Amino acid sequence: MTDILKTEHLSKKFGGLCAVDDVSFALEENLIMGLIGPNGAGKTTLINLISGAIAPSQGRILFDGKEISGLKSHTINNMGIARTFQVVRIFSKLTVIDNVMAAMVDRRQKGPWRLAFESVTEGLTKGAGTSKDRDAAEKLLEFVGIARYRDELAENLPYALTKRLEIARALATRPRLLLLDEPSSGLNPAELVGQIALILEINKQGITILIIEHVMKVIMDISNRLIVLDYGKKIAEGDPQTVYTDPNVVQAYLGSESHAAH
Amino acid sequence: MRTSMTQRLAAGAGIVVLLILPQLVQERYFLHIAVMAGIYTILTLSWNLLAGYTGQLNLGHAAFFGIGAYTSALVAMKLGISSWFGLLAGGGLAAFFGFLLGFPSLRLSGPYLAITTIGFAEILRLVAINWVDLTRGSLGLSGIPLLSPIRLGSWTMKFYYERDYYYVVLAAVLLTYYCIRRFTHSEFGVSLQALRDDEQGAQSIGINTSRYKLTAFTLSAFFAGIAGALFAHFARLVSPDTMSLHVTFDTLTMTMIGGLGTIAGPILGAVALTFLSEWLRTLEDFLKMDIRLVLYGLLLILTILFMRGGLVGLFKGLAERFRSLQRSRNIGVDHD
Repeated sequence: MTDILKTEHLSKKFGGLCAVDDVSFALEENLIMGLIGPNGAGKTTLINLISGAIAPSQGRILFDGKEISGLKSHTINNMGIARTFQVVRIFSKLTVIDNVMAAMVDRRQKGPWRLAFESVTEGLTKGAGTSKDRDAAEKLLEFVGIARYRDELAENLPYALTKRLEIARALATRPRLLLLDEPSSGLNPAELVGQIALILEINKQGITILIIEHVMKVIMDISNRLIVLDYGKKIAEGDPQTVYTDPNVVQAYLGSESHAAH
Repeated sequence: MRTSMTQRLAAGAGIVVLLILPQLVQERYFLHIAVMAGIYTILTLSWNLLAGYTGQLNLGHAAFFGIGAYTSALVAMKLGISSWFGLLAGGGLAAFFGFLLGFPSLRLSGPYLAITTIGFAEILRLVAINWVDLTRGSLGLSGIPLLSPIRLGSWTMKFYYERDYYYVVLAAVLLTYYCIRRFTHSEFGVSLQALRDDEQGAQSIGINTSRYKLTAFTLSAFFAGIAGALFAHFARLVSPDTMSLHVTFDTLTMTMIGGLGTIAGPILGAVALTFLSEWLRTLEDFLKMDIRLVLYGLLLILTILFMRGGLVGLFKGLAERFRSLQRSRNIGVDHD
């Protein structure tokens, strides 16, 4: 198996705070890797670094053997990494289907000028909206189970479904690696089961997944590998069972006895 | 997104009415106002592309209008070539400045961008006032030539009367409408709206938001420049006032009252307020006080407080209520 993603001595400093501190790990293709750790451990920062939302202070990130550290988000997405956000970032004034359509534009080939020009010439030759894309977008909505809301404004969706919309939108960019930042936060137990099934189904289609999760049940059920961050440092890595019983991890989560007293 | 048959018929009927309007109402004063309404429509449509669809609050739109007006006027006066080239040059130079003004938008947003764009327009206005050799300062350029005649074989079309300008401006409005509607109702427009709603979210799906913003600024400025150029050859007088803040705020008020982020809204707002302000002029003469701006301000405040979607939003809401009322009657259930 080849490593699709690799970080080498990755660090991110915010002023004096080291949010991610010398983290190295490798992620094999087609796996689901869980990323856990207490609040403020640097999990989201790590995802922000990989997706290009912020640039690392030190270290390298390799995607498919190519260095991507410091590249812009949109470039990294075009290379094949998609993500969701802890607090959803959907396009609230667009319809559900347009949220997905926005992600389907072939931006590897076309820039804004060409798209603007084509929109004018296309209007003369044929009607609006290429139906091929629309069909594909609809399939994605069906896949995540929100097809019947296709023409609703995204802002009218209940919270649990906006999380699904975000996943559909990320998939529309045809990623090879999907970064999920707490996909099950704010979901009730029934919704949680559906979300787990969805993530496994995505993985079955050959998409590698790196997932941040607080709900232990989710992480233990789905991940093949786990890494644990605490205060920005990687404190454990391995298969879920081993990591779960690792004394360092237990201490990070439950605290030592002196912490427990507070 | 797709236009239905009835919509097409309505649009066709609308265009026919617009085409025969000068035959129905031959009063030159009316046609003069109609031309101004058309010029304002191009301004509101282009401003709306940025503010409504891309979420960039540009308060320097008057600068593009002024650049278009001065450029076209100067090309016609100094170079003596066909004013149609001047028209394109006006749009082109405005587009170039639009591109430049796009750069601050890559770092600034909201009120900060608004202040920067106001500053940009004010600087250009001061340049127009002080570059006396070229612009004749605050006197402005007068005696701007009419639009050059178009010769096709033995047939010549001259532009002299209000009616002639009415058709030129109508053509420009329809072309602007078509382009901006296509821009906004396409992959390009969906991308703009995506970055308007959530910039980081847009970047995460591969949208190079910087390039999209620059493109939107450039296109928006181009159409504003064309509007300015048309104005120059119609009014035949261009002063630094064309770049003043009140032109921008007229555009903003019209768009907001009509409906920000829609296509019909800016058109509706521009036409309604242009005619309203002419009507108010007679009222002002009667009352001997300046109530136009007071009313504009009041309408704007009321729109923001009670009618966020503007007139278009209001109509849509009413239509929706009517439809659901009908539906519940048909089923025979009480509408709750």
